[in-house]
Amino acid sequence: MDRIKKITYAEGAGTDPYRNLAMEELLCQECGENEVILYLWQNQNTVVIGRNQNAWKECRVQLLEQEGGRLARRLSGGGAVFHDLGNLNFTFLAGKEIYSVERQMEVVRIALERLGIQAEKSGRNDILAAGRKISGNAFYKKKDRCCHHGTLMIQVDVEKLSRYLVPSREKLQSKGVDSVASRVLNLADLVPGLTAERLKEALRKAFEQVYGLQAEPLEPGRLDASALQEKAEQYASPEWLYGKALDFQQSLSHRFPWGGVELQLRIQEGMIAEAAVYSDAINTEMIRQLPGVLAGVPYRRSQVCESLAAYQPADEGEKSMLRDIEAWLADGTI
Amino acid sequence: MELREDRKYTKSHEWVREENGVFEIGLTDYAQSELGDLVFVNLPQEGDPVTVEEAFADVESVKAVSDVYSPVSGTVSEVNEELLDAPEKINESPYDAWLVRVTEVTEQEDLMTAEEYQAFVESNQE
Repeated sequence: MDRIKKITYAEGAGTDPYRNLAMEELLCQECGENEVILYLWQNQNTVVIGRNQNAWKECRVQLLEQEGGRLARRLSGGGAVFHDLGNLNFTFLAGKEIYSVERQMEVVRIALERLGIQAEKSGRNDILAAGRKISGNAFYKKKDRCCHHGTLMIQVDVEKLSRYLVPSREKLQSKGVDSVASRVLNLADLVPGLTAERLKEALRKAFEQVYGLQAEPLEPGRLDASALQEKAEQYASPEWLYGKALDFQQSLSHRFPWGGVELQLRIQEGMIAEAAVYSDAINTEMIRQLPGVLAGVPYRRSQVCESLAAYQPADEGEKSMLRDIEAWLADGTI
Repeated sequence: MELREDRKYTKSHEWVREENGVFEIGLTDYAQSELGDLVFVNLPQEGDPVTVEEAFADVESVKAVSDVYSPVSGTVSEVNEELLDAPEKINESPYDAWLVRVTEVTEQEDLMTAEEYQAFVESNQE
């Protein structure tokens, strides 16, 4: 009855998110019809956004990059997550006939149980322990292969997580909670000293237990090295990371000692397609010129600030107002 | 499962309706019910080429992201932009919610009639 002929265990080769995601996608392509693959991987200091999310709306991109972090976009849907080496990602890949989210979740549950942690599924996407989220899950399908992946927080830097991710206020308010940090939990808080290695081992054993087969290691050479390289480059490309953002409106406002300024920007394929600037300031020639200065500029902080710096209003007062605006935008606003 | 006689179907659950060389492509009622509530649709742009049996769009539902495959090779002549803001229209009326219109069609896969498609879906459910 059980059509599963083979279960395979693989680990990511490093902590580069683009290579790790590329490997996941290639494993998805290569996975046999009657095979289940468990792939475990870790990314260093990375915000991973969902397939259809807008990088700028979910993540403080500039701050992340400034601090040496990386932004990545995955193939599955859902929300943004923060990964560091305190997080372990798991991926299940299987042919569509044998793919079973329930069974796959059971592997995770048993693995945690082996470590003395009682975990339960919550909704379609979350796994909770002690009432708080320890794992977020997401899913995608490619032809006849399915992918289910998720995070497992062991000892994630929650301070960084809250700093890089921009929580949706509405979402938080509607759930009546006050911060991301209070909703999530690190497994190491439940099992002191827990390491990624121990969790990996528990997952591999639980995988074999649930499927009743010996997990075979991924055969070296099964994935084509040049295809892997090519895919990794695609995942790292600005086109995939930012260009995917559909047109969106960004509205930024700030009150300066000399008046309030509101910038309304329409971003299209990563560029400021159109800008409108409103202000109650008295000197307004500079404000009138700003839309023209901003239009056509890539929506990246460095480039926006460069364009503003290049514009020199004749009036000294306006010049100083412009420097204020520049400083405001440079200070993590974009 | 609702079916329409005026169009053809693929094994990957898209429908196609041809009129004067214009091929309209959408997702079947079965596809939308399997996918669940759609929250996002990524469509190609006008003028983009599409290739038979290759992904040309993807849809995100509350369950997963799935690719949508083209039953024909040709050029996108029109995109149903209404779906970008209202992907739920695919759930509400899958046979009206076309994704793209394709012209200059050079190739098409073997398509099924409504009856054949129904038999195909039923045999897969067993």
